Amino acid sequence: MTTRKRKERAWYALFTLPLLIVFTTVVIIPFFIGIAYSFVSWDGIPANPKVFVGFANYADLLRDERFLTSAWRTIEFTVLALVLVNLLGLVFSLLVTSKLRGGNAARTMFFMPNLIGGLILGYIWQFIFTDAFKFIGEKTGMESVFFNWLIHPQFALYAMVIVFTWQMAGYTMVVYIAGIQGIPDELNEAAKVDGANLWHRLTKIIFPLLMPSFTICLFLTLSGAFKIFDVNLSLTKGGPNNATELFAMNIYNEIFGYGNYGLGQAKAIVFFVLVAAVTLTQVIITKKREVQF
Amino acid sequence: MRKVKRSIILLTVSAMIGVLSACGGSSNGNAGAGSPTASSTSSPEASPGGAAEKQVKISLFQSKVEIAEPLEALAEKYKEETGNEVEVWGSAGDAYATQLQAKLTAGEGPTVFSVATGEEAEKFKSYFADLSNEDYAKNIAPDMALKDGDKVVGVPYGVEGFGLVYNKSLVDPQQMTDLASFTQLLEKFKAEGKNGISLSQEAYFLIGHIMNTPFALQADPQDFIAKLNNGEVKMADTKEFQEFARFLEAIRANAENPLEVKYDTQMGDFAVGETAMVHQGNWSYGMLADFGDLGFDIGMTALPLSGNDKIAVGVASNWVVNAKASADQIKAANAFLNWMFTSETGKNAIVNEFKFIPAMTNIEAENLDPLSQAVYEATNSGETIPWAMNYFPQGIIVNDLAPAAQEFFLNKDMTGEQFLANLDAAWAKGAK
Repeated sequence: MTTRKRKERAWYALFTLPLLIVFTTVVIIPFFIGIAYSFVSWDGIPANPKVFVGFANYADLLRDERFLTSAWRTIEFTVLALVLVNLLGLVFSLLVTSKLRGGNAARTMFFMPNLIGGLILGYIWQFIFTDAFKFIGEKTGMESVFFNWLIHPQFALYAMVIVFTWQMAGYTMVVYIAGIQGIPDELNEAAKVDGANLWHRLTKIIFPLLMPSFTICLFLTLSGAFKIFDVNLSLTKGGPNNATELFAMNIYNEIFGYGNYGLGQAKAIVFFVLVAAVTLTQVIITKKREVQF
Repeated sequence: MRKVKRSIILLTVSAMIGVLSACGGSSNGNAGAGSPTASSTSSPEASPGGAAEKQVKISLFQSKVEIAEPLEALAEKYKEETGNEVEVWGSAGDAYATQLQAKLTAGEGPTVFSVATGEEAEKFKSYFADLSNEDYAKNIAPDMALKDGDKVVGVPYGVEGFGLVYNKSLVDPQQMTDLASFTQLLEKFKAEGKNGISLSQEAYFLIGHIMNTPFALQADPQDFIAKLNNGEVKMADTKEFQEFARFLEAIRANAENPLEVKYDTQMGDFAVGETAMVHQGNWSYGMLADFGDLGFDIGMTALPLSGNDKIAVGVASNWVVNAKASADQIKAANAFLNWMFTSETGKNAIVNEFKFIPAMTNIEAENLDPLSQAVYEATNSGETIPWAMNYFPQGIIVNDLAPAAQEFFLNKDMTGEQFLANLDAAWAKGAK
């Protein structure tokens, strides 16, 4: 082996080994331990025995009505959030890239909520949905719209969608802005000369060329909405009557509330498989639609 | 270029070392930060009380939000007087048991923590250190210690009581002796535009405490709970619970929806006289005290269920020492507890800052606030009902009973019978 080759290998090892060690210790190993836990029945106290139960936990979770309801509510939440976040992100990005006055200030303001943590955001909005909404309702008489959203099973979920959108729309906006700025001006101008109106330019030029951004944004919102926990905890705590208990929170309650570590872990594995399957399918589908100019 | 290369190598290597040493460090488990250095030094000159030898730093985690601030102040004083450090981890309210378990399971448990008597203590008992031979344990009032077999494993915070805390200028307990008169009173307040009674949205304040009453009125509450766990009895078939459901119906019909009320708004509305009664305990006086002079007197009376006229009194919580901590830490923890329960500063803090009604023979209860006074008098005269809820299956109030109660308060069409059936179903789920 030449010295050069050896040197190259040393460099390679130097850069990959630390990453590999970190990745193995914090992702790979816990993941496999987690799979092992999903086959035992255990209450989480180290002194108590772990009993091997095979696939009983997986069978149990299929019979767990609360889990199935929570799965359905998560899907409902994810679909609503996905549409709203991307729609708003796209509209914002189109707004701030058009030569409007104050575009930069608007950009900053749209992005700002993303800098606030989900927990704090949840507490701020909790105040708005309970106290501020009630106040507005009483003052304006529009009590059918402005009431305490958080104690209504359906509206509490909408409240979560709003907060999540508020948090994520600015982030997707930034991705879309980058995409829009990557589209050469000539294309737009040539289309304009050929007499294409705004709608045609959007649907025939901008959107197809934005496909890579769509791939990223849809992936981010999809996985983010599926895994949401912080906003869920601080805004509704899963209530009222567990109506807004989403996937991650259901797993948390199973493990820490009921102390069923095995069952909770089994749910977490199912959750992982689901999120992975859905997001991968989405990426494959949108990747296929990406075009080159 | 070469300089850049070299600095990159340096950076990477140091990052790697950082990672590797971090892996090694975590295996220490319960040993808290700063323990190796602090334990080796002893300071003979700093011992005004004689017993103040230098101890390792310990951590403390407990459930009562009300004493969080005074406890931190006490830890400061402890440091001033003895030079030893106690790190207070704040408190978590409803989520306490969950967080405690997460910390203990992760091997990062506190040295001293609190557990409630009953199911919670049963759950965590593998962590309790034996305190039987400690000096302060000898002062625990009879039958008040938390025991595991013959061993004393926990020291009670003190006794606490709850019931209907009422505004004496608005309510006369004599006029409220059964369901009919209770409902009448609520209707009267509703007509006057006042809130007759307020529960609040937190699981214990919504259902946990008030539901203790029908349990405590059973001939043998613990036996009743055991039968309920086995499915041998149903709440829906039990007289006291049927009446309890009527009480909740009356509350739902005539008072503000508890799901819109938080603990602080509940006490705030009570303090300004907009709410006549709250279902609360003597701990809530701390909040009322923040409002200064209320302009009226307050008292505590019983929920008049089946003619009950006794308030519920029990041991609030117990201090225990983590047996999985290092020997040095256990020693330091005992030194702290000993100081808290025997020094003048500590005793003063328990009575005057924490506002506890002490369950120790060496601590006098004096200058109690009106609510604690009511509890103290009830305890001394024996006019109390027990805290049956401590024997509920672990976590059932937060996990199962609270959601059922939320549904009841949201759905105006749900009858008391349906509510009891839901409670029975929730119980069956929580008890398995």
